[in-house]
Parts: sequence; C-alpha cells; structure tokens
Amino acid sequence: MKNTIFIWALGIATITSSCHKATQSPGTTESFATLEQTVISDFANNTALPQYANMVSAAVALNSAVTTLHSSTTDANLQSAQAAWKTLRTAWEQCEGYLIGPVEASDYDPNTDTWPTDKTQLDSLLASNNALQAADIAALPQSLRGYHPLEYMLFGVGGSRTAASLTAKEKQYMVSLAADMLNNNIQPLYQSWVSAPTNYAQQVITAGNGSAAYAKKLDFFLDITGDNGMAGICGEVGSEKMYEPFIKKDSTITESPYSDNTLLDFKNNIIGAQNVYLGLNGGKGIKDLVASQNKSLDNKIKAQFTAAINAFDNITQRYELAIFNQRVQVQQLMDQLTALKDILENDLTDFLKQYVKD
Amino acid sequence: MKKTYILIGIAGFVMAFSMCHKAADFPEIGYDERMSGGEATVLDESSKAFTLAISGLSARDARVHTIGDQIFDQTFVAPPSSIFAGLGPVYNNVSCVNCHRNDGEGIPTAGFSNAGLLFRISQPGTDAHGGPLAVPGYGGQLQDQAVLGTTPEATINIAYTDVPVTYPDGTVVTLRKPNYTLQNMYLPITGSYMLSPRLAPPMVGLGLLENVPEQTILSFVDAGDTNGDGITGKANYVYDVYTKKQEIGKFGLKANTPTLLTQIATAYQQDMGVTSYVQPVESAYGQQQMHGVAGGTQPELADSLLNFVLYYVKTLAVPARRDVTDADVKTGQLIFNQINCSGCHRPNMRTGVDVTLPQISNQRIQPFTDLLLHDMGDGLADNRPDFLATGNEWRTQPLWGIGLLQKTTGTAYYLHDGRARTLEEAILWHNGEAKKSKQAFMQLSSSERAKLLKFLGSL
Repeated sequence: MKNTIFIWALGIATITSSCHKATQSPGTTESFATLEQTVISDFANNTALPQYANMVSAAVALNSAVTTLHSSTTDANLQSAQAAWKTLRTAWEQCEGYLIGPVEASDYDPNTDTWPTDKTQLDSLLASNNALQAADIAALPQSLRGYHPLEYMLFGVGGSRTAASLTAKEKQYMVSLAADMLNNNIQPLYQSWVSAPTNYAQQVITAGNGSAAYAKKLDFFLDITGDNGMAGICGEVGSEKMYEPFIKKDSTITESPYSDNTLLDFKNNIIGAQNVYLGLNGGKGIKDLVASQNKSLDNKIKAQFTAAINAFDNITQRYELAIFNQRVQVQQLMDQLTALKDILENDLTDFLKQYVKD
Repeated sequence: MKKTYILIGIAGFVMAFSMCHKAADFPEIGYDERMSGGEATVLDESSKAFTLAISGLSARDARVHTIGDQIFDQTFVAPPSSIFAGLGPVYNNVSCVNCHRNDGEGIPTAGFSNAGLLFRISQPGTDAHGGPLAVPGYGGQLQDQAVLGTTPEATINIAYTDVPVTYPDGTVVTLRKPNYTLQNMYLPITGSYMLSPRLAPPMVGLGLLENVPEQTILSFVDAGDTNGDGITGKANYVYDVYTKKQEIGKFGLKANTPTLLTQIATAYQQDMGVTSYVQPVESAYGQQQMHGVAGGTQPELADSLLNFVLYYVKTLAVPARRDVTDADVKTGQLIFNQINCSGCHRPNMRTGVDVTLPQISNQRIQPFTDLLLHDMGDGLADNRPDFLATGNEWRTQPLWGIGLLQKTTGTAYYLHDGRARTLEEAILWHNGEAKKSKQAFMQLSSSERAKLLKFLGSL
C-alpha cells in the first residue's frame, strides 16, 4: 500500500505541477509598472524631443549656410553648406530609429527623404520659369524636395561640385529646398510632438492611460520595437538598402551617393535604434526594462548592437565601391544587422509581450 | 496489484490534464474566429498590420515578396532615368504606397502628394467591350498631376456640405456630402461627361479574394429577391484587357477588374503613367498634349517587377480579429447578423484550390463581402455605369481589417470616396438594397449601436 500512496502522491504532484503556470514574480510588479512609465516618458522627453530639436537646429544652420552660399558663392561657403547638410543628415538618420507618429502620418518622411532624385524633372525645373520660392518647392513632387535634391545640388555627381559651377537658379533652388525642409517639415514635425492638436509626446507619455495613439503601454513598446521602430530600421538597412546594391552590384541605387554619405546614413540609423534601446540624455531606455527581468537578454541585445555598429568600421571605402571591393566586410555587416533584427523582432518582442501587462 | 497501480497512475494523469482544462471558448462552428484569412492570417495589430507576408514562404518566395514590397513602395521618376523611370507624363501619384498608405487606404484629397482619391471619367454610352466610353483627350481616368512641362488634365475641387441625420432616439449625426467639380481642364470637353470618385482601398486579403470561385460568388445572387430581404446582388462581367475575355469582376470599387494582375498593371498605367506588358500603352497616348510621348511600345516596368508586385499583393496576410471573446463584440456580431448587414457583408466563404500557394488555397475566410454589386441608393450613386454596374451600384466592400484603418492610415476614411469619417457615418450613408438594414440600425438603442460598432472595430 505504501506504493499506492506513493502513486497517489505522484498523481497529485503531477496535477499540481502540470497546472503550474510559469508565473513570473520578478521583483515587485508595481515597480516594474513604474519603470515602464519612466521608460515611456524618458523616451519622449529625453530621446525623441531632444533629437527632433537637434534636427530643428541643424536645419536652421543648414538654411543659414545655404543662404550664405547664395550671397557669397565661394568654395569655402560651399564646404560649410555641405558640412551643414551632413550634420542635419546625421540628426535625421538617427531619428529614423523611431518612425512613429507624425513623421509618417503627416508625410514628413516622404516629403524630405524621397529617393531617388528625379533628375529629368530637376533639369526641366531649373530650365523653367518657376520662381523657385519655398512655396513653389512645397508644390513639387516629393522626388524634387528634401535631402537628396539638395544633396545633388550641393555635392554634384561624385562630389564634383564647385562653387563656380553653381548657377543663380541652382542657388535659388537650394535656398528654397532648405527653407522647405525647415519651415514645412522639420519645424512642423517638432511642433507636432510638443503642441496641440497632435502633441504626440503627450500621446506617448499617456500610453495605456487615455492616449489616442496607444490604448495600452504594450502597444507603444511593440510599435517602437517592431516595423516602425528598431527592428524595422535594422531590416530596412540590412536587408534592403545595403542588400540591393550589393546583390545587384549596382552602385547607382545607393542612398546618398553624391555626398559619399551612404554608409554613415546606415550607421546613424542603427545608432538611432540603439538610442531607443539604451535611452539618451540620462533617461531610462528599454534596456532598463529588460535588465530588470532578464539580464542575459539585455547583455545579448547590447552586445549585438555594439557588434553591428562596430562592423561598419570594417568597411573602409565608400559604400558605392565597397559593394565591389569589400564584399566580405559588407556581407558580415549585413549578417550582424540581420542578427540584430532577429533578436529585436523575436527575443525582445517576446519579452515585452511576456512582461508588459498594461 | 500492478494493474491497480497502472490504473491509478493513468487516472492521475487524466486528472492532471482534465483539472487543467480551461473552459475553452471555442466558437460553436469549430473555427477560431480570429483567423479571418484562414492560414493566411497574421496576428498583428500595429500600423503595419496590412504589410506582413503570409507565413510559411520559402526563402526564395520571401525574397520575391520583399522585392515586390520594395517596388510597391518605390517612387517612380520621369523618363529617361537609369532607375525607376516611367512616371507620367500625367499621373495621380508617384508610388503605390502613396495612396495605399501602409498598404491600407488613401486619404480623400486629389492633386497632392498624399492624394488617395482619383476620378474615373466617361461619356454616355459604352465602348466596344461594354465598358465605359472614354472621353476624347482624357481617356477613362482623370490624371490631375503631371511631370513638369506637361499640364495636368484637370484640377478637382472637393467641397462638402453638412447633412444632419437624426436617430429616433434624438441623437444627431452630421454626415458630409461631397461635391466634385473640375477646374483648369487642359482641353474643353464637348458634351456631357460622368465622374466617379474612387478612394484607394486597403490591400487586405486580395490573394484570397481572387481565389474565391466564380460559382461561390454567383451562389450569393438572389436575382428575384426570393427571400424578400430587399437584397438581390449582381455579379459584374467585364472585359479583361490582358486575356481579352469577358470575366467576372472582383476588384475595383465597382468590381470592374477580374484579376489582380490587370488591377495592378492598370493602376501602374493609369495612376502613375508606368506601362507594362499587361498595359503597354501610356494613359496619355494619343492625347493632344502628349505628342512628345514615345509610342508606348516599350514597357517601362520590367515584366519581372510587375510579377513580383503581383506576388507581393497575393501573399499579403490578413490581420487577425481582436477581442472576439469580448461580450459586447459578440453581441455586436449578433446584431450585425440580426439586422442583416451580413446579407451583403457575408462573413464566411471558402477559397478555391491553388496548388501553388497552399496558404490561400481552400481556406475558410471571413472577408465580410459577397463580391457582388448592390444598389446603394441615390446618396452614394456616382451615376456612371461601369460594365454591368449601374450608376447606383457598388461592390460590397470587404470589412476585414476595417478596425485597423485608423492605425494604418493615421486618420481613417470610409466608403468609395472617403466621405465618411466614422464607421457610423458609413452605415448611415447606406441605402437602396441596404435600406432595411440601415433603418434597423437606426432603430437600435445607442448601446446596441455602440456594440455593433465595437464588433466592426474588432474586424
């Protein structure tokens, strides 16, 4: 009979154990919920807002550099304008780590970053009697607005632009392109985060708490992690923007060919994603949520970000050449980006779904 | 004794599992109601919910899907160009995704970079194939944008007037009635013409709908209204420019296109001015100001790219329903059936067999459409016949994914021209064959109406 009792005990043990749900009681639930709110608020206040404000000041600087170039067309002023373009480009590419809210809903992205540049129409535009004021630019197709037409004007094919080669019309076009970016896109983008009617920062901060954009906090975390956020940009860079020129061996379809900025564009995209994960300006990031429950996952994500970003430095030539001459390094970088995307898309997403309950 | 032990042991295990059994809320029909697209369903409720591939694609197929995705998003430029050339000379927009935002619907503006509304135009009468009669100098569609140096065919003015509707319980909802007028026409039109506004519809489940057998669609027809519910329904039979045959129409807001291939190629040609092997002639060919356009014999879109976009569209997944076990949603669904919204917005059907794509083959789907034309009343009429569709008839819009439009578009708009700003407004515009259902809806209490709308939000 002892055996029988044993079997009963076993049965009961089985019942209990098989009913056991893997209930995680990490720390205290309340503090995790508090941490969630801190991460969300810090994303808005310490990452997104300062980064968008950076874009505004960089766009102001570009405007003034291009205006100076217009009034005093020297090679030195051309170089200043080129540098200002690159500074703004850096700020923007990092903001692409989180393409959520107004930047897409109000088309600020396609209005400024449409690719490729429509050179046929660009030539007819410059040959036409269009006054090329900022308001005229806003009415043009997106392929004649924003970063890339301005890049083409400032740098020329293969970076061959000289101040002496700039015509009066080209200079007017540049001034208005920069003004259209600042006044019709970058400034309104910033405003849409800080003021009514959209006030997107507030919509983020109130996620799961009356926000029209995010009914649950989890919705926000998944948005910032998924296709509109970190994983999305890693996929776009690693599987599309780098992959297509690489696999087709076609240097005419790279991102920013005139300024030789393509590779830096890519790197800044990934840094932008990393900013979301780590947090900026002393604020907490998603890393704090992960580290509080699963330190090994946090280490894994951070290590993969570092590995991916470091892999950029193995490519020493401009991307348009590297796709021919440094194929091993390019492939390794793409592999790192794919690995990063997979971790974000799978491990991190699973983590968020498991732990974020509100 | 051994036997006893074994029996007890087995009993233990059985108990172990049975005690853990949750009172699973299986729907009575035995299907998971969330799986709107059967195997082609994806569990995602983000703004990207319409953009995801069906699962189980091989690496090679996934690559084709990805290239199609890129071309769908790609901005085209004016020729000549080494890359993505072919835009214009006249067009409505520069990429697929500029209208089908996040693979969803468009925004009801015309002539701008974010415009998702276009206008078909024709004169009274029919062409050689029974379709709308093109207007000389304009063709069958107004292109209200043009590459520099070319004049857009027209500017479209959109004005709305308020139309208040009062429920029996006193609640007032204000609809907006659109009025469309043409300005700045590049060429005068002699005689009368008819306009039909078309808002870019969501790309949800198109591969599945293409796979719904013709017999299934025809089985929904009740020509003599034998069941007396006021709903008859009619299939559109249309001429396919590629197969050169009359076929049942499935796509387009008046079901005037039989296949996805023709639908996509025609959108490239008419909406963007990009020619292909299916539609090799520029939309502007033969028009007065198009004298500079090359003859239209060289397709601008490579055959492979058009086929990749077709594959992309066919392999887009349907987002799963949310909140299917919510009590209000379930009540809303009952009301949906009781007031016979389901008479046209058919919940269930089965796709045909397609051995090349098991995920969309023989699937039980919940598209909430019958793919038939119905008289929707004078308020919604465009008064422009399109093959067998009269000026009052529209194809039943599939409702799957409709609860996610707010997320995918940013601001959702409903009905064929986006005049409705809410689902409630959209319902209140229904008339004609839908009159009984609309009236029944208006008789509901406000809480019942809210439940019905909540159900729609779960789709």
